[in-house]
Amino acid sequence: MGVGGASGATEQVAEILDKFPGGIRLVDSIEYLVAWARANSLWPLVYGTACCAMEMMSAGSSRHDWARFGVEVARATPRQADLIVLAGTIVEKMGTNLVTLYEQMPAPKYVIAMGSCAISGGPFYYDTYSVIKGGDRLIPVDVYVPGCPPRPEALLYGIMELQEKIRKEGRRNPWKVGKVLETPFVDTHSLAKQEWLTQEEKKEDEQRLARARFKAENPDYKPAKPQRLAKEKFAAMPRIPPRKSGFTNPSLLAAVQRAFPEVALFRQPEITPATVADLGPEYILDLEIGPEQYPDLVRFLKEDQELGIDLLLQVTAVDWQDHFDVLVQLLSTRLGHKVFLRCPVSKEQPEINTISDIFRGAEWHEREVFDLFGIRFSGHPDMRRIFLLDDFPGYPLRKDFADPERVVKRPY
Amino acid sequence: MELQPVDNLPEGFTRGLNSDETSEEYFLNMGPQHPSTHGVLRLVLKLDGENVLEVVPHLGYVHRGIEKLAESQTYLQNIHLTDRLDYLSSHFNNLGYCLAMEQALDIGVPERGEYIRVMVCELQRIQSHLLWWGVTGMDLGAISTFLYGFKEREMITDIFEEICGARLTMNFFRPGGSFADVPDTFIPRVKKVIERMHVALDEYNTLLTDNIIFRERTRAIGILSREKALSYGCSGGVLRASGVSYDVRRNDPYSIYDRFDFGIPVGSVGGCFDRYRMKMEEMPQSLRILEQAVKDFPEGPYRSKEQSAYRLPQGSYYSQVETARGLLGTYIVAEGGAKPYRVKFRSPSFSNLSTLCEMAVGHKIADLVTILATLDFVVPDIDR
Repeated sequence: MGVGGASGATEQVAEILDKFPGGIRLVDSIEYLVAWARANSLWPLVYGTACCAMEMMSAGSSRHDWARFGVEVARATPRQADLIVLAGTIVEKMGTNLVTLYEQMPAPKYVIAMGSCAISGGPFYYDTYSVIKGGDRLIPVDVYVPGCPPRPEALLYGIMELQEKIRKEGRRNPWKVGKVLETPFVDTHSLAKQEWLTQEEKKEDEQRLARARFKAENPDYKPAKPQRLAKEKFAAMPRIPPRKSGFTNPSLLAAVQRAFPEVALFRQPEITPATVADLGPEYILDLEIGPEQYPDLVRFLKEDQELGIDLLLQVTAVDWQDHFDVLVQLLSTRLGHKVFLRCPVSKEQPEINTISDIFRGAEWHEREVFDLFGIRFSGHPDMRRIFLLDDFPGYPLRKDFADPERVVKRPY
Repeated sequence: MELQPVDNLPEGFTRGLNSDETSEEYFLNMGPQHPSTHGVLRLVLKLDGENVLEVVPHLGYVHRGIEKLAESQTYLQNIHLTDRLDYLSSHFNNLGYCLAMEQALDIGVPERGEYIRVMVCELQRIQSHLLWWGVTGMDLGAISTFLYGFKEREMITDIFEEICGARLTMNFFRPGGSFADVPDTFIPRVKKVIERMHVALDEYNTLLTDNIIFRERTRAIGILSREKALSYGCSGGVLRASGVSYDVRRNDPYSIYDRFDFGIPVGSVGGCFDRYRMKMEEMPQSLRILEQAVKDFPEGPYRSKEQSAYRLPQGSYYSQVETARGLLGTYIVAEGGAKPYRVKFRSPSFSNLSTLCEMAVGHKIADLVTILATLDFVVPDIDR
C-alpha cells in the first residue's frame, strides 16, 4: 500500500469542511485532482537486477514507450522517484540495499513486483541459499506482474493497475480501514460461486434435453472415432565430432610426462601417451597432480613456448565427499587445444598454493572457489569472499551444506 | 605522507588516504543501484579529485546459486536455468549446455537443426549487440541511441517470439536440435532483418561511431595490452580488441560454423574505441553468415530422436561457444543418474570484468563509465 495517500495533511481540513453543506464535494474534488495528477506522473527508479530489467527497458523504449502513461522520467536517485519496479531476483546481499533505497524515496511511494523472482523467488525458490523469496518480504508491494519475464505489455498493464489504485486513494478510499468497517460485509465470492452453479445446472439441463431430442430424431447416428495427430518421429543421427586443432592428446601427454613423470590421467592412471588416442578425439586431457607440484605444472604449461598455452579458462573445484579436486582449465588461443588439470585437496585442511602469480585472472576464480567451497589459497593477495556476505554460514557448493533457514527443499 | 589507520578502510583496500593538506583523496561508493553499472555491480573507488586511483569491485548482488540449484534438477530441467545466466545470450547458453550433453550421449543433429542453431545464434548476437550499442550511447550521454537500437532489436525479438514463444529467456535448444521447427515465416523475416540491418548499421555509424564527441570520449581510454588480456583470461571482443585473434567459431568450430565464410575483426590498441569497433564490425559478419545460411537453408527433420530420459554416463564433459560477450564454457561432471553431479559455467563477463581494476586506474571517473560500457558485461552472468 502506498504510504501517505492523497489525504495526509488535508485530513483535518476535511473534518471541518465536511460539516458545511457542499464542503464534502470540495474536499472530494481536490483529492480527486491530486490523485489524478499523481497517477499520471509516476517517476520510476532505475532499478533492475536481472532479466526482467531488459523487459523493463523494452517497455521504456521505442515500441512500447511507457511515456504514454506518464512514466517517462526514470530517475537514477531514489530521492526523486516515487515508483520502484522490482525487476529481477533479489538476493540476500541486495536485501539491505533495497530497503535503504525504499526508505530514501519520498512518500507517497509505490512498488511493482515484476516477474516471478520478485513475487516469490520464482525459479529460484527451491534449493537456493541466497535468494529472498519475494520482494514483499522486505518492502510492501502494490502490484504484482507475473511472468518470467513478463512481456513489456504486462508491465504496462501493471502500471495501469497501479494508476487505477492511486486514483482511488484518498479520503473516501474504499480500502481505508475506517470506511471499510462502516460498509456492511458482502461475501461477493460466495455469491458469484452460487450464481455460477445455477448457471451450470441450467446448462446441463439444456444439454441433456438437446441430446435426447437429437437421439430421437436420428436413431441410427454413430459418432466418428476421434483421431489424434500422429506424433512426429525422428531418426537418431550420427554425431559428427567437431574438428580438432592444435596439439593432439598423445604428443601433449608425452610432453607433460617428459617434464613431470608422475603426472597421470584422472581415474585412468594406466593410460600412456601411446594409448591415450583410444579415449577418442573429443577427450580433453585431464591430468591429476599432487599439491606440491601443482603450481609448477601450471607454470610449465604456461611458459613452454612449444605448447603455446596462454589463456586460463577457469579455476574451479569439485567436492568428492571425501576430498576436493581443484580444477584448472587452460587453453591455447594460438593453436586451439585445451588441457585440464586437477589437484586433490583434503577436507580436513583445505589449503593449496595459489596460481594467481602465474595467471592474474586466477585471482577472482580462486576467491570464488574459497567462497563456495572453503578452499584457501595460500599466497593469494586478497583472500576474501567474492559473492556471499562475510557472515554467511558454511560453504554452499559443498555436498554436505545444509541450511534449513535459507534453503527450502524441493518436496518432490 | 601520513596514512590512515588500516582498520578504518573500506573492504578490499589495503592502503589508506593521503592525509596531506593539499591532497583531495577520498573514497566513493558506486552502485549497486547505479545506471552505469549495468545491473547491480558495486564499485568502491579511491579518487583523487576526479582521478581514479584504485577500484575495488564487489560482486554477488545477484548471486542466485544457479550451480547449486542445477545439482538438484534433471539435465533437461537445467536448460531453462542457463537462460537466466546471460539473459542477452540465452540461445548461446542453451547451445553450450546442449553441446556438452550431445558430447556425452553421442547425439547427432540433422542438417536443418544445425542451420536453425547457427541462424538463431547469429540473430541473437546482433540483438545483444544492438542493446549494448544503445546502452553504451546512453552511458556516454546520448539517449537517442537507446531508442534507435531498440527499434531494430524488436524486429529480431519478434522472430524469437515466433519460433519459441519467448522474447528473452528462450529455452529453445534441446540435445539433438531444438524443441520445435521454425515456422514458414522465419526465412522471409530473417531476410527482412538482414535488409534493414544493412541500412541501420550505416545509420548507427553516422550517429555514434563518427561522432566527434564519442570519438574523443573513447580514444586512448582503458588500454589493455595483449599480455594482460591473456593473463586475465579475457575473451570475445575484449580479447580481440587487444590484438589476439581468437574466436571459438573460427578456432574451435562447433555446430557447422566451419562451413561459413566470415571474418573475425581484430583490434590493435585495445582501448575503448577498439572494443567498440569489434562489436560494430561483428554485426556485418553475423549478417554475412545469415545471408549464406538463408541461401542454403535445407528441408528435412529439425531434430534427432528424442530420449525419454537423459542420463549422462560417468565422466566430465566440456563444451564452449562464442556468445555475444566471449567464451562461454559449460563443464558438467556426471556420476551417472538423472541429475548432474556438478555444473560449472565459465562465463565470459567474469574474466572480462576482472581487468577493470587494471584499466580504470589513472583515468577520470567519467572514463570509468566508458570502460564499463565497452566491457559489455551482464551481471547475473558474473554472479551466476
